[in-house]
Amino acid sequence: MDQQGAGGDAEVPAGLGLTAAEYEQLRSTVDAHHRYAVGEGQCSSLLAQRIHAPPEAVWAVVRRFDCPQVYKHFIRSCALRPDPEAGDALCPGRLREVSVISGLPASTSTERLDLLDDAARVFGFSITGGEHRLRNYRSVTTVSELADPAICTVVLESYVVDVPDGNTEDDTRLFADTVIRLNLQKLKSVAEANAAEAAATTNSVLLPRPAE
Amino acid sequence: MAEICCEAAAAAAGSDQKGECAGSRAARRRRMEIRRLRVVAEEASAKRRRLEADEEDAVGGRAPRYGVTSVCGRRRDMEDAVTARPEFINGHHFFGVFDGHGCSHVATSCGERMHQIVAEEATAAAGSSVSDETARWRGVMEKSYARMDAEAVVSRETAGPAPTCRCEMQLPKCDHVGSTAVVAVVGPRHLVVANCGDSRAVLSSGGATIPLSADHKPDRPDELERIHAAGGRVIFWDGARVFGMLAMSRAIGDSYLKPFVISDPEVLVVERKDGEDEFLILASDGLWDVVSNEVACKVVRTCLRNRAPRGGRERSSPTSNLSPRQSSASGGSSSSGDEEAGGPSGDGAGSESDGESAEDRACAEAAILLTKLALARQSADNVSVVVINLRRRPRS
Repeated sequence: MDQQGAGGDAEVPAGLGLTAAEYEQLRSTVDAHHRYAVGEGQCSSLLAQRIHAPPEAVWAVVRRFDCPQVYKHFIRSCALRPDPEAGDALCPGRLREVSVISGLPASTSTERLDLLDDAARVFGFSITGGEHRLRNYRSVTTVSELADPAICTVVLESYVVDVPDGNTEDDTRLFADTVIRLNLQKLKSVAEANAAEAAATTNSVLLPRPAE
Repeated sequence: MAEICCEAAAAAAGSDQKGECAGSRAARRRRMEIRRLRVVAEEASAKRRRLEADEEDAVGGRAPRYGVTSVCGRRRDMEDAVTARPEFINGHHFFGVFDGHGCSHVATSCGERMHQIVAEEATAAAGSSVSDETARWRGVMEKSYARMDAEAVVSRETAGPAPTCRCEMQLPKCDHVGSTAVVAVVGPRHLVVANCGDSRAVLSSGGATIPLSADHKPDRPDELERIHAAGGRVIFWDGARVFGMLAMSRAIGDSYLKPFVISDPEVLVVERKDGEDEFLILASDGLWDVVSNEVACKVVRTCLRNRAPRGGRERSSPTSNLSPRQSSASGGSSSSGDEEAGGPSGDGAGSESDGESAEDRACAEAAILLTKLALARQSADNVSVVVINLRRRPRS
């Protein structure tokens, strides 16, 4: 993940799918939230997804630590661990128990909410337990608005994780990136569908006025 | 039938107790397993009763005797489906095992629709100019699997709010749900086996064990080559998996992994050999992961031999510990002609009738015994087994 940026000529990470102009607008976000001290036996990755929906609509889905199945694949069920002090509030330290669908190399995952910043639209969680092979997994998702060349929302998701015994960095990145890429594609579908529905609702509310 | 499955779980629990001190957690787990078995057994019984009601009189010959079991085992959910449709088209009999993953609705759809689709395609192909029986059946199966795969994409919509489907997805399409499909069509002259995924069909003929399907595992050399050629990757992540995710290289459904995971079946058409062909076993990997082809065939052969007309005595039967009530239940799970609608005969009118009745039960007992064996060997999956007796029955 260490990237050498020479002044304004930052190189866009390979495979990210963003243009240089887009990446330049996101650089401060990447520097602030998507850089990790990657140790020996670990690997890290950054993925991006363009979404044609307002950033606040995308963020409303991303921030649902209690209901990740709205935009994440492979979840059979998810339950927040009860916290008498917090009640229903989503705040750092909160835990959720995710049950994974069958047929995959995981069955459960215990996950901790690390960061929920509504102003900056930054969401972070780590995996603290469960039956799977992703040890010391930590992830951050940011929702940013781009204005050039066209207005759109870009979601960045990054992670750092241990490389399991018997696998390579490449294996680990392939597995984790595949899951995240599928989730980001679903996030795009859900957010764009929600935005279209909201727009339709707004139009229908406005329709009666011309008749008056 | 519920009693037999409960007995299977109890037997497994019994063997556990001999090996170690039963902790409260282990005891609770066994009680949960027994409860799951009971529920699944009841569902299976209801399903079999519907199947028997659907059975029609054979036209050219009598339908083969068969036995079916399908149990949840140690999985959290039951995602297998099994279909037996004697005489689904004139003179032909359909059997299928569908092992679902991700959720149950794709396997359920396969169980409900695959035989209908195959019947339609076979009927359409019967009028075609293809004279080669092998080529004709291969075409029928390839078209049928493609249609079933297309239906799987919308199967949740079709199923509606079915109680067996637990998807919490908001979108109608469930890209990451799929199923294996191993299908056998028993005809007057040919056995047709089509397979997609890692369930399996095994034939016993002339005392030899003959696999009629080859598991579609991602690290099978030709499958690995096909996946790589398509731009996919296979990594070892709890076994060989496509992108580290799915442990099979072919399946019905699983749209998210296409074109790497395809639904094309491998089709085998073999001529039947009277006097040599004994039986056919279709089963999910819940059985095959813990029982070899040879052991499974040996178990079934023993069951069938001990129930043969004028054959071995009851005492030597491997399921001789079944109580009369349980035997009656297992008898009900076999295919039986209308003249035996009253159930297995208590006081047989003649030796021939006794023989047929006993032989009808043998397939069910064989399927039950294989299932018990899989559970006893700690199978970690749903277990579904179909045993089909291939010895010809005299015409009525």
